[in-house]
Amino acid sequence: MRLVRDLGRRKLRSALTITGIMIGIMALVVFGSMANKIDALVKGGSTYYKDKVVVSAKGGYMGLGGVLSTKMADQISALDGVDVVVAGVEMLLSDDQSGVSMGTPPMIDGSVADADKGRETFQINYATGRALTEQDEGSNVAVLGSDLARQFNAQVGDTVTLRDVQFKVVGILEPTLTAPDNSAMVPLAAAQQLFMKTLPTLVADKLDVNVIATSLVVYPEPGVDPQKIADEINASISGVTPMTGKDFDQEIGAATSMLNAILIGIGLISLLVGGLSVINTMAMSVAERTREIGIKRAIGASRWRIRREIVIESAVIGLIGGLLGLGLGYVITTLGNDAGRSSATILFDLTFGTAFSSVAFATILGATAGFIPAWHASRLDPVTALRYE
Amino acid sequence: MAILEGRNLRKTYRLSRRNTVEALKGVEISIDQGEMVAIMGPSGSGKSTLMHILGLLHAPDPNHGPAPELRLAGEDMAALSDNARTRIRARRMGFVFQDFNLVPTLTALENVMLACEYAGIGGKQARQAGLEALALVGLEDRASHKPSELSGGEQQRVAVARALVNKPEIILADEPTGNLDSDRSAEVLALLREFNREHGQTIVLVTHDAEVGEACDRVIRMRDGRIRDQGQRAAAVAAPAMATPAAVAAMAGPAVATA
Ligand SMILES: Nc1ncnc2c1ncn2[C@@H]1O[C@H](COP(=O)(O)OP(=O)(O)OP(=O)(O)O)[C@@H](O)[C@H]1O
Ligand SMILES: [Mg+2]
Repeated sequence: MRLVRDLGRRKLRSALTITGIMIGIMALVVFGSMANKIDALVKGGSTYYKDKVVVSAKGGYMGLGGVLSTKMADQISALDGVDVVVAGVEMLLSDDQSGVSMGTPPMIDGSVADADKGRETFQINYATGRALTEQDEGSNVAVLGSDLARQFNAQVGDTVTLRDVQFKVVGILEPTLTAPDNSAMVPLAAAQQLFMKTLPTLVADKLDVNVIATSLVVYPEPGVDPQKIADEINASISGVTPMTGKDFDQEIGAATSMLNAILIGIGLISLLVGGLSVINTMAMSVAERTREIGIKRAIGASRWRIRREIVIESAVIGLIGGLLGLGLGYVITTLGNDAGRSSATILFDLTFGTAFSSVAFATILGATAGFIPAWHASRLDPVTALRYE
Repeated sequence: MAILEGRNLRKTYRLSRRNTVEALKGVEISIDQGEMVAIMGPSGSGKSTLMHILGLLHAPDPNHGPAPELRLAGEDMAALSDNARTRIRARRMGFVFQDFNLVPTLTALENVMLACEYAGIGGKQARQAGLEALALVGLEDRASHKPSELSGGEQQRVAVARALVNKPEIILADEPTGNLDSDRSAEVLALLREFNREHGQTIVLVTHDAEVGEACDRVIRMRDGRIRDQGQRAAAVAAPAMATPAAVAAMAGPAVATA
């Protein structure tokens, strides 16, 4: 109570300091949420690519950019240690990828349902509707990821247009925080048809639509190192690039951890500024209270007690600033995500961990910043302090 | 029996290399248990400096010549750590300063309770003791007022209540009536006198006021950093046993229990 009154006495200065911390924490919350989202994407990818080899055409990347043939699947199946090979066709939902978007772009993803023979371990849950089945081959049906469904504003039973072709929505996924959120899963045949239309006529004429694939997902037999399979593929088939979980982690992981470091760094710098302003506030409030501290010391307050009083006061400043910053960050990330929903770009993922550590950090920052003036105050000679004007 | 004894007390303030002020030039002082002593002397004669040393706020200078000695109830204070001295200030001494006495953000009661808190008494007990101490100085109805809402005399009485609340062995008051008109000054003085009579508390006060000096058992006169006159002890120091039953009743309660 006394403490609150002490803060109240220096209303303007406390308010400014709290605002400084608030902005710093807000930045930390917003950038931290962004980093969380990126992390979730990467982790999703990392989980997906674990224990398998994804083969794309040379020069292509993660199934995009080149054409393979389902015949290659048979070739790879024959290799030592290979269990199942699933051919897939992936393409961007729209060629117009104007503007830089974060995360994965909307994709169309075609493969024969259950072709993996139960080997795929990446967990996907259905919010509504059903999964695709083998019997869907030949019909234009789709399962939409959560973000994409929201973008289309589609329900199960609705019809959506994917690359000028109408598809009936049979299922909608629960959010995974990674790639599937932004993709439409369709039967392989339908995807092959769509893909053909993206190719120049000259190229398309030479291809057999029924064997088109853009990626081959290779599941090794249990206990076989995916790297060994990747080496075998490299050795026996030309014009393809196999990618293992390790490759993914190296390429994507390094890039994103750099990005995350920058994001968190921006947040921390703004906090440092906030921290300096706490030091300033506390130093001034200590100077202002010099005589008061002298009285307290004279009538028996120990150095430790004076120190504790000031440190707690500045920790409370940090805590209040932290809570306000969290509130503001929450509003910004929520509004940002709502705004991005229409274009299926969910930028932020405000986790409990981020919220908690931001507030804890603000409190610790406040306490630490208060420590310097507190130390100074506790060293004052009581008589000198009493005489201070 | 002497409760406070000092010998060879010196204090030199060093403003710069050349400019030093010898505030105390070797003082010997002895104050008896239960005595009420006034220290008088011209401005700058070292009265406050002496009070600060007796109150363990300053350590006396280590001398080239004979070493300084300071005893509280026979116990040597010279070698004590800051923490130990702070604890003695909190539990065995009460202070009243000349002008700036109270913490401005705290109410009268909270200011008084601060002394309890530092002496290790908290909660209801401190509140009870604080209210009783305020009642003794006649300010129970001002308990929730801030210093800025009190007159100078009232503030000084709150400071007296704070000095008394823990029933310390010694009360040190540096010009407790300096800012007050003669009526208020007599009031505060009467309060201190009453305490000294009824509870045998030792009181040392600095004053410029000859009337205040006369009301004390003894007047010590200082000049130029030295004691000129140790003063004559008054014949009879009223013993605590002479306290009226009503006054004893007024003091009974938690405050006494924790004394
Ligand atoms: N902190 C200090 N720094 C330097 N000199 C000081 C300090 N405190 C006191 N002095 C000097 O020491 C001398 C004694 O000061 P002190 O305050 O003890 O006098 P005093 O008798 O209490 O005077 P007054 O009646 O005016 O309060 C004075 O000359 C004063 O200027
Ligand atoms: Mg003085």
